[in-house]
Amino acid sequence: MASVVIEHVTKAFGNSVVLDDFDAVFENGEFITLLGPSGCGKTTMLRIIAGFEKPTKGSVKFDDKVVSSDKVFLPPEKRDIGMVFQSYAVWPHMTVADNVAYPLTIKKVPKATIKEKVDRVLKMVHLSQYADRIPSQLSGGQQQRVALARALVAEPALLLLDEPLSNLDAKLRESMRFEIKEIQKECGITVVYVTHDQTEAMAMSDRIVVINRGVIQQIGAPSDIYNTPVNPFVADFVGKIEFLSGEVKAGCIELDGCGQRLPYEGAEKGRVIVGVRPEQVKFASGDEGVLKGAVKSHFYLGDVNDCRIDLGAGTELRVIADPIESMGVTSGKQVSLNVRSFLVYPEQEPGQDFRKILT
Amino acid sequence: MKNLAQPRPQLKGQRDLEPVFVKTVLAVLFALGLLMIFAGVRGISAFNASGYDAEAGFSYVYQMKGELDKHYQNDLAPVLDSLEAQEQAAVSAKLDEMLLAYWTDTRGDEAAARAELDAFRASLPQSGQEACTLKLFDAAFAVDGPKVSSKLKKQLAALDAGERENMRQALLLALVDESAPLNEVAAAAVEDTEGVERERMLLQLFLISADESSVSIPTELANNTKKAVRKDPARLDAYKAAVSGSVSWVSQFVVSHSRTVIMLGVLLALDIVLLAFLIGADHSWHFDIKWLIILLIIDFMLLFQMLPLIYLVVKAFFPEGGFTLETFTRLYSYPMNWSALKNTLIAAAATMVLGTVLAFPLAWLVGRTNLYGKKFFRSLFVLTYMVPPYVGAMAWLRLLNPNVGDMNVFLRTLFGMAADATGPINIYSLGGLIWVLTTFYYPYAFITISRAMEKMDPTLEEASRVSGASPLKTLFTITLPMMTPSLIAGALLVFVCAASCYGIPSIIGAPGKVHTVTTRIIEYYGLGTQGLNDATGMAVFLMIIAILVLYISDFVMAKRQYITVSGKSTRPNIVDLRKWRIPLTVLVSLFAVIVILVPFATILTTSFKVDVGKSLTDPGNFTFGQWTLIFSRSETLACLKNSLIYGAVTATVGIVIACVMSYLLQRTRIRGRKLPDFMITLGSGTPSVVIALGLIMTMKGDFGVNIYNTAYIMIVAYLIKYLMMGMRTVVSAMSQIHVSLEECSQISGATWTRTMFKITGPLIFPSIAAGWFLIFIPSFYELSMTTLLYSNTTKTIGFQLYEYWTFTSQPQACAMAFGILLIVVALNFVLNRLTKGEFSI
Repeated sequence: MASVVIEHVTKAFGNSVVLDDFDAVFENGEFITLLGPSGCGKTTMLRIIAGFEKPTKGSVKFDDKVVSSDKVFLPPEKRDIGMVFQSYAVWPHMTVADNVAYPLTIKKVPKATIKEKVDRVLKMVHLSQYADRIPSQLSGGQQQRVALARALVAEPALLLLDEPLSNLDAKLRESMRFEIKEIQKECGITVVYVTHDQTEAMAMSDRIVVINRGVIQQIGAPSDIYNTPVNPFVADFVGKIEFLSGEVKAGCIELDGCGQRLPYEGAEKGRVIVGVRPEQVKFASGDEGVLKGAVKSHFYLGDVNDCRIDLGAGTELRVIADPIESMGVTSGKQVSLNVRSFLVYPEQEPGQDFRKILT
Repeated sequence: MKNLAQPRPQLKGQRDLEPVFVKTVLAVLFALGLLMIFAGVRGISAFNASGYDAEAGFSYVYQMKGELDKHYQNDLAPVLDSLEAQEQAAVSAKLDEMLLAYWTDTRGDEAAARAELDAFRASLPQSGQEACTLKLFDAAFAVDGPKVSSKLKKQLAALDAGERENMRQALLLALVDESAPLNEVAAAAVEDTEGVERERMLLQLFLISADESSVSIPTELANNTKKAVRKDPARLDAYKAAVSGSVSWVSQFVVSHSRTVIMLGVLLALDIVLLAFLIGADHSWHFDIKWLIILLIIDFMLLFQMLPLIYLVVKAFFPEGGFTLETFTRLYSYPMNWSALKNTLIAAAATMVLGTVLAFPLAWLVGRTNLYGKKFFRSLFVLTYMVPPYVGAMAWLRLLNPNVGDMNVFLRTLFGMAADATGPINIYSLGGLIWVLTTFYYPYAFITISRAMEKMDPTLEEASRVSGASPLKTLFTITLPMMTPSLIAGALLVFVCAASCYGIPSIIGAPGKVHTVTTRIIEYYGLGTQGLNDATGMAVFLMIIAILVLYISDFVMAKRQYITVSGKSTRPNIVDLRKWRIPLTVLVSLFAVIVILVPFATILTTSFKVDVGKSLTDPGNFTFGQWTLIFSRSETLACLKNSLIYGAVTATVGIVIACVMSYLLQRTRIRGRKLPDFMITLGSGTPSVVIALGLIMTMKGDFGVNIYNTAYIMIVAYLIKYLMMGMRTVVSAMSQIHVSLEECSQISGATWTRTMFKITGPLIFPSIAAGWFLIFIPSFYELSMTTLLYSNTTKTIGFQLYEYWTFTSQPQACAMAFGILLIVVALNFVLNRLTKGEFSI
């Protein structure tokens, strides 16, 4: 088991910088997820940890051992890691057992020990009965479990997973999520997991590293990331959110356009961006709410009622309401709303368009 | 489950017709096919029965019928009519008497002759009887009547119209009255004759003297008839047929083209049987127009590929009709053939091993490492693929000739050997042959392996690296085993190509008495009928090797075709060679210099030499003469023109078939689409020499097609051999365009045609262009098949080059070879531009 210390790693391909001053410590036994949109540099970071890419600047240490720096570079085979690829990368010319035994064979482990370890790890991933099959006879999920078994069999200090579930269908993805988490707990191994799927990240991680355009945005536990995102990007990437602009006045924020006011006692001053998560907005009975508006549209989805409220002058707010509470909601109806919590960020440039935060 | 009960939707290009209607049409067409076979067979037996030599005879009879009618109407009847009634009757009676005599001469027995004549007369219409006698004589005397000297003909031609008319009347009268007055010319002609001879001469003069030409029916027609129908009794039958007018154009066509009719009938019947299988397979009896296209392609392949190949095998085992192994026992009791067989197998196997052993590391170094200049090396190795094999052979001959080869001279100096010694390397040996074959054919393996390496998912190797395996260990435990199918396929390709190569052994092996099966086949081919039989025996051997290899490689590929294409495209895993980077780059450069640069440079320098034996820098040995000569000789230019035309026609026809086949294979699920595909694959796997030999033996007219000695036979041969290259290119391009792109266009309201032109066409255009060039280039410089198929008017540049090398001058041949290279490189450049850099060969 090992901790991973990443110090000021920068990676550039030609002129394009894909990772900029990446600095993080992944603790021993932690489940870390690198989360971000496609092309943000998360896979490159993983490949740097694995040793498939050399950082342009900075160093990587496993515990105290430098594996990659200006002077030292350990090739992947010398790093004692396990890795699972998005495309499974199960060798089609070997049986399942041979695939899994491969890392041990390379280490020249005695045959009996190999057999014992392979059996154990196959049992762990529920593939014992498939040991003698060739991979093309297995389903995608089974192949992915072979890859997982192969990555775990040599009991590496570190397990790297590169979007391992993205080629599987939704149901399978969900069950594999828990299996991977279970196995990680069982082995106590440090895991670095790459994904662009925020639900996956939330469900599995001890800590999440949110990356955008090669820069770390926030590192924190799933609840921190969700509840106190450090900037609008993180807030928008994890969970649902609506952004409104406004100005801090005495004890409140006056929203642009509609001129309605939200009570606010925070530290921000001047022009601000207000982020409201739709599930934090509730219908108030009668006229008691802080905001008022007319229902513009509503979609009944069974478990929730997804409504859009026009606050006036084109300002809209989304409400994900309990279907029983919002039973009487119809289009055009005047409603009043309470906001349980919201996020406030200073406006970076005057007139910033929040809908374009992600691009 | 209401939906299931709904009628099947009508798809484009498919129409449901009444089953009964479809069945009836099929039955009628099948019957027509059978009828054609029957009629054709009847036609052949009609000839055999009446002793006609060639089918063309019947066509001459048909032409003669027309000529006779015309001649009688315009020239004979008027003169006869101008006689007094009494005279006319006498002349008629005399003519009848003469006819009976002629008939008896031909058939022998007078009574039988009389009976036959009467029967023949009775078969004629009443009005035609009178003309019959004259017409029959007209025909008979034109073919083999009394000879008229050219002096006499001149005299006849000199007469004016009035004199001529008088003379002809007099001639008729002279038949019945010996003392009747004749003019000078006629009198002189019959001066020395008497009796039957005199009568016949008089009649002949009457028949031929209608105008200045002094012939009754065109001389050429008469001569052809004489050639076609050699025996007298048969000729009389021919005349009877011509006179009685019993020859219709249908029977004329059927009889004179009976073999063609049989062939068409057989193809039609086969097509219908096949069509019935296709249509009837799901009992829906719907008809699909695409089947007609499939059948057309199948017909083409059946006629020009399957028939020749099958015929070759049959001919080898049944040389004179009965089964015998005589051809083989004779062939293989001859030690030179044994050595040819042995040489072929050894050379092909050695080339396969050497070529693959060279190709794999090269492909790996160029594709998967950080070797310096790998892109350059890649295009360099691939370019060799496009060089005519004989050019390489010529270069190596210049380099490794045991006495004066430049490389040998260099090596002798290097090792301090005597300058006038021979060796150390002798190209005129089996080893030399293997070396040249290897340098030419390793790119085949290189390309196959490189492609497979590119397609391999790099994470498969990365997974091995994180499992603790070093790059080298990964290469041997993961990369190499995964590549096995492609390696085997590439190796077998090299084997077949080397075994069926003619250009290299003909240039290297022949002077060194290293024979191979291909050179033996072509030597035997030059030795008449017996030789042709022997060539067949050798060809069958070559064919068996090729088919076996094709089968094995198909089997291997089908069994172990791993799907290794990753969902996400990642850059290939580049191995850092570190301290080996420079040494390996030097090694690869050295290989490129020796195998590619030096030979081409040799060709170029030799083309500027006056005396091949001397160095280029010797005084007076440098000349542009060879170049000006090859560009100014009309024969060379004519050959170049031929090559360009044949190549272009082959490529154009080929690419049309390729596009149609790609569409059928990739976009339809129509039954039977795999059949033409199979035949095309088989054709490309068949050794060139075998294809050419089969075509020669079957395309001389015996099977209803006569394209021997024409450009068509060469184009057909090129098509069979090279069609697949074009087809595979287009097929793979089409497989990469998802069908939804086309469907989307159709949803947007575009018709199928418009979709093809606006969406599919532009997307696969680069591949179509590449496919065109892939067919064009090898057709352009082809040698093996051309050697067997050329005629004086259809020589190609490849064959011309071979002739120059062997018979004229090596420097001139080198100039031509380099010229061909330049053309190929230029075409490659054009292709690159045309496809915006996407393709070059």
